[in-house]
Parts: sequence; structure tokens; C-alpha cells
Amino acid sequence: MVCSGRLEVLDMSVTTGVLRAVRFGLKYAVHSLSGARQPLRLLWGHRELLRLLAKRDIAVRTSGTALGGIWMILQPGLQVLAFWFLLDFVLRVRFPGKVSFLDYFLIGMVPWLMVSEVMNRSLAILTEFGALYRRSAFPLPILPLLPLLVSGSIYGVVYVGTVLLLQGPVVALRAPAIMLGLMLWLVPICYMLAVVGVFLREVGQVFPFLVTMLMYLTPILYMPQMLPEPVRAWWVLNPFADLMAVIHGLLQGLPYTAGNLLRPVLVWALLLGPAWVMFRRSEPHVREAL
Amino acid sequence: MTAIRLHGAGKSYSLYRHDLDRLREVLSGRSRHQSIAALHPTDLEVPSGQVLGIIGANGAGKSTLLKLISGTLQPSTGRVAVKGRLTALLELGAGFHPEMTGRENVYLSGAVMGLSGQEVEALYAEIRDFAGIGEFIDQPVRTYSSGMFVRLAFAVATCVAPEILVIDEALSVGDGAFARRSFERIMSFRDAGKTILFCSHSMYQVEAICSRVLWLHSGRVIMDGDPAQVVTSYDDFVQGGALPPAPGAQPAPSPLPPKAMRSAAPGTARIAEVRVATREGSGRPLPVRSARSDVTIEVHLVSDPALPPPSLAVVFTEADGRMISSAGTVNDGMLIDRDGAGRGHLVVTFPRFALLKGRYLVDVYLLCEQALHTYDRVQGAAELEVTQNGLEQGVVTLPRHWQIGAHRDPARALGVGVG
Repeated sequence: MVCSGRLEVLDMSVTTGVLRAVRFGLKYAVHSLSGARQPLRLLWGHRELLRLLAKRDIAVRTSGTALGGIWMILQPGLQVLAFWFLLDFVLRVRFPGKVSFLDYFLIGMVPWLMVSEVMNRSLAILTEFGALYRRSAFPLPILPLLPLLVSGSIYGVVYVGTVLLLQGPVVALRAPAIMLGLMLWLVPICYMLAVVGVFLREVGQVFPFLVTMLMYLTPILYMPQMLPEPVRAWWVLNPFADLMAVIHGLLQGLPYTAGNLLRPVLVWALLLGPAWVMFRRSEPHVREAL
Repeated sequence: MTAIRLHGAGKSYSLYRHDLDRLREVLSGRSRHQSIAALHPTDLEVPSGQVLGIIGANGAGKSTLLKLISGTLQPSTGRVAVKGRLTALLELGAGFHPEMTGRENVYLSGAVMGLSGQEVEALYAEIRDFAGIGEFIDQPVRTYSSGMFVRLAFAVATCVAPEILVIDEALSVGDGAFARRSFERIMSFRDAGKTILFCSHSMYQVEAICSRVLWLHSGRVIMDGDPAQVVTSYDDFVQGGALPPAPGAQPAPSPLPPKAMRSAAPGTARIAEVRVATREGSGRPLPVRSARSDVTIEVHLVSDPALPPPSLAVVFTEADGRMISSAGTVNDGMLIDRDGAGRGHLVVTFPRFALLKGRYLVDVYLLCEQALHTYDRVQGAAELEVTQNGLEQGVVTLPRHWQIGAHRDPARALGVGVG
């Protein structure tokens, strides 16, 4: 009797546990779905507003310079040139096989410049536009999309040009799709960074360093094969390493695995819900915090 | 139809020791703050077409209520439902990006309100002209004076055809001409049956404009109802009276003392009543016949008896705010008599009103004994519609004397003799 009683209790607690897990899973799924849908709805619903802000953003960056818009392309170009000078010209890094260093480097570096710019800016975006929403009914949740749109469109153009030069017109057609995919992948990260930037100002000071470290930990300046096998195993923890493998695979025909594609997608899917919930919960705080 | 509905909507501001606590609260959902209630849960229904005035001392929750309704703040409890396009004038420069030009901000504000680029394009000329800030429209708004900010914000808020207009003390800013134009626009909104929420410290304005008044105190509705009644109770309270018994309850209708009979708070003086009339009648606009009608302006005022006797000035302006003429007790060497309670009454008559045909506004100012500090003002106390018989041109008819005769030698006529 006692034994069966215990079993019943055990049984019940297992059932409750399962129920809880199912409820949590459902909730997670629902939030993830809105985390995927809501930013797209915002993008469409406030397209006019975003267009104005993005246009303004691009104008500010180029105003007062003789070359104007050309600087938008030239700036990242010069950055790339500096890396090339160091690695190919000074250090004479040689890649295994017949892979050209310049091709490999450029194809990875341009998207990375976009990623790092978007992440750095996302952290400050809510503070930057504080004047707009602090005392008015401005749709706050569109702001994290702005760095994505601005940097995405600038580097998108740069990237298509770069790939066109390196790999020819047929491969260049894939470049916009890769940029779009990256932008979409960055959405939950942008929302999370935007909130963190408001509440943890100190992060802003150390963040550029973290982004630079992340770049060194991602095979952009070197090929994965150039590192010893045990080190490479750690890359499963860095979704950017997977993304780079996919990018090089799609544009340069280098080998990549299904895991390279699935891991980032999984990370993205898992981040969607928490990022969106975190942002929505923070919204009243953000309006008051500044 | 209900334009605005609040279901137990309240707002508490949270105090955190560190911003990190905010993040922890967001992540864990567990409270890590001290709450300060700015507005206790409130139920409110505003039918469309109503002009609701909100009064109360500083910190009573007026601005919080307006911010909740205009969507700038999210309620901590309850719900806020708004039907129709709402524009708000809440704070100086709110909703403008300081680095963007006036023009860009117009488009931005339009987009925030959900207007397309073409729709804003169509309204742009009207907004620019109403704001009247000239070349500054193409300068970043951070270079604007507070007056220019208000002009542009007001122009944007009222030119986009809102169904609900929310105004927080914005009327008092800006120069005379613009204040008048904005006042007139608000009146035209009221006449067009739009819903207006209006928060002001000027009881005269509140009484003049509103059809219903809400009195807030420490985040609670103390009284809600007829403007004269609520304003009277509020005045009593400000002068040291007690709060009405049950918050939110309607006061029992009681015979109101005439406004002129109420006393003024210490150190203040106010205009209790202004009546502008001619012998032929009254009304708004007031019909006046140039050089024939006698215009009388009767003013009742209340002041703190401890103050030196205040002075009064009457100003006639054109619709664009240009001052045409004025008269003041200090300049004319008159002293206002008051009774022991500080109440005074005076009448100024303008015999055979000298202004020529046109529309004029009468502003009345209650000033300190030196006519420097303004205690109270009533702008647009009356609107004069002056008509004339002849074809005399200009603004004013001057008293004159003609001498006419046959031709005479000009030198002799001027009295210049030859020795």
C-alpha cells in the first residue's frame, strides 16, 4: 500500500513535471513565433518612418564631405585594405590548397564588417534616439531594426560589388541573399543588445573589444584548416564560425557541413522568443530609464 | 461615441537603486523597485466632441494622465483605449529629433502618426505657413528657440486633422500673435466637434474652453463635472479649504457664489470677470459702429488684500496679434479701489469708438502696482466686429478739424508777413 502510494505521488509529480515542461515549451514556441513575426510586421507597418530614419542616417554620415556617398563604400574598403596590407603583404600569410587569400578574406570580411557595425550600433540605438520616444508615442520597437537596415543596405552594395569582381556575375547573385539572411539572423541579437545597452552602460565600453575578439575567434583572417583539430572543435560554440563556413561554401565552393547551417538556425530560433519577450518587457522601462 | 476610455488605468513610476536592477527585473519578472504612484487606477470616459479640462496642483498626475492617453507612457495597471487619430502637445520639443531639420521632423512626425509620404507632402505647405518660422524650417531643431519649437509642434499637431487633441500647458508659450492663432485654432477644433483634452493652470482658460473639468489631486480624481463647479471647489481648496469628502463623487449641487465674491490666494490677484459691451448690446463677436458706439469694458477682480492695489490694462489687437491701442490705469493715473477682501470693480469706456472697420480682439491684463508683473490675463476677452458708414481708410479715425475757404496767398495764409 505504502509503496503504491509513493508510486502514485511519484507518478503525479512526473505528470506535473511533464505538464509544466509542455506548457513551457508551448509558451516558448508562441513567443518565438511572435519574435519572428513582429519585427517583420513592424518593418512593414512603419516602412515610411524607417525609410526616413535610414535616409537621414545615410545623409548624416556623408554630409560635409566632397565625395559624399562614395565614402560609405570607401570607408569599409580602406579597412579591408589595411587588413590585406598586414596579412598578405607584410606577414605573407599563405593559405593551404589553391585558395587565394584575398578572395577568402574579402568574402568573409565584408559581411563581418556589417555584423560588427550592426552589433556595435544596436547597443547604443535606444540612447541615440531617446529624444524621439521619451516624450512622445514613437514606436520604440522599430529602432533596433534601423542599424540593420542602414548597415545592411550599405554593405549589401559593397558585397555584391566585391563578389562580382572576385567570383563573377553568377555567384554575385547569391551575395544579396547571404546579406539578407545575415540581417534576418541578427534580428534577435539586435533586440537583446538594444536593451542591454540601456541598462548596462558599462557594456558599451568593453563591447568593441568583445566584437574584435569575436572576429579573431571566427575564421575570417585565416582558414579553419590552419588551426589544429582540437581548437577547431570549439567552433561549434561560435555560430559566426558556422555562418562563415556557409558563406565561403556558397560563394567560393569551399566545403561546409549541414551542421554549419543547422547550428546557427537553431541558435536563432532559440533566441527569437527570449529576445522579443525581453524587449517588450523592457519597453516601459526604457521609456522611463533615460 | 466614446473617444477615450480608461479602465482602471494607473501609473506608478519605479525607483531603482541601479539600472542593473531594472534589467534583473525584466529578466526575472520579480519586482526590484520602489513604486511611486503618479496616477491611481482611474476610470474615465470621454465622449467624442467633449472638451475636457484637467486641473490640479503640480504633481497631481495631470501630465501622467495625458501621457497615458497619448500613448507616451504605458499604464502600469488597467487599460487605455483611444478611438481616432490623436495628436499631443505635451512637452517642449517632444517627438522631434534634435539633429534633424524642421522639415525632416515634420515628415518624421507625420510618419509616426501613420501618414504616408504623400499625405505629409500635401500638408507640408500648410504646416510650414502656420508655424511661420521662415528659413529655420531647414535648420536642425536643436537650434530652435522654445517659441519656434512650440510653433512647429503646434502646427504639426493641428494640421494633420486629428480627431483628438491633447494639450499640456502649451498655450502659454510662444509670442502673442502665435498664442492667439493657436488659441483660435483650438477654438475652431472645439467648434468642429473634435475631442480636446486640455490641462492648464489658468482657471479662466479652463472655464472658457472646457465643457467638463477633471480635478486631480495626488493622482486621484477629486471631482469631475461642470467647469464652474469644479473650478470653484478647486479655488476654495487652493485658498486653504478642505478636499471634497469622497474622491470621485459628484458634489451636491450648491448655489455658487458669484465669481467676483471669491477671494484670491495669498500673493495673487486674478480677473474674476470681464464684460465687454456697447449700449446697443453684447455678443461674440460684438457689433461696434465706428465713431458711434461707446464700448465699455467692465472688469471684476479679486486680489490678496495684503498686496498693493493692482493695476489694469486693456489692449486692442488685430487678429494677427498686432497691437493697435491700449489703455492702462497706471499710465492714466488711476488707482483701483478694493474692499477689505481685495475685491475691485472698474469700468472703462471708449466713447465713439475710434477704430475703423475690421475685427479686433480685446485683451485684459491684471498687473502689479507698477504694471510690470502680470498677475492674470484674459486674452481675447471679446472680439469686436467694427463696421463703418463711410469709406474712410486705415485703422483709426483721428479727431480732426477742417478749415476751408477760397484761395488765399499762401504766404499770407501762413502768417508770413513782408516787412
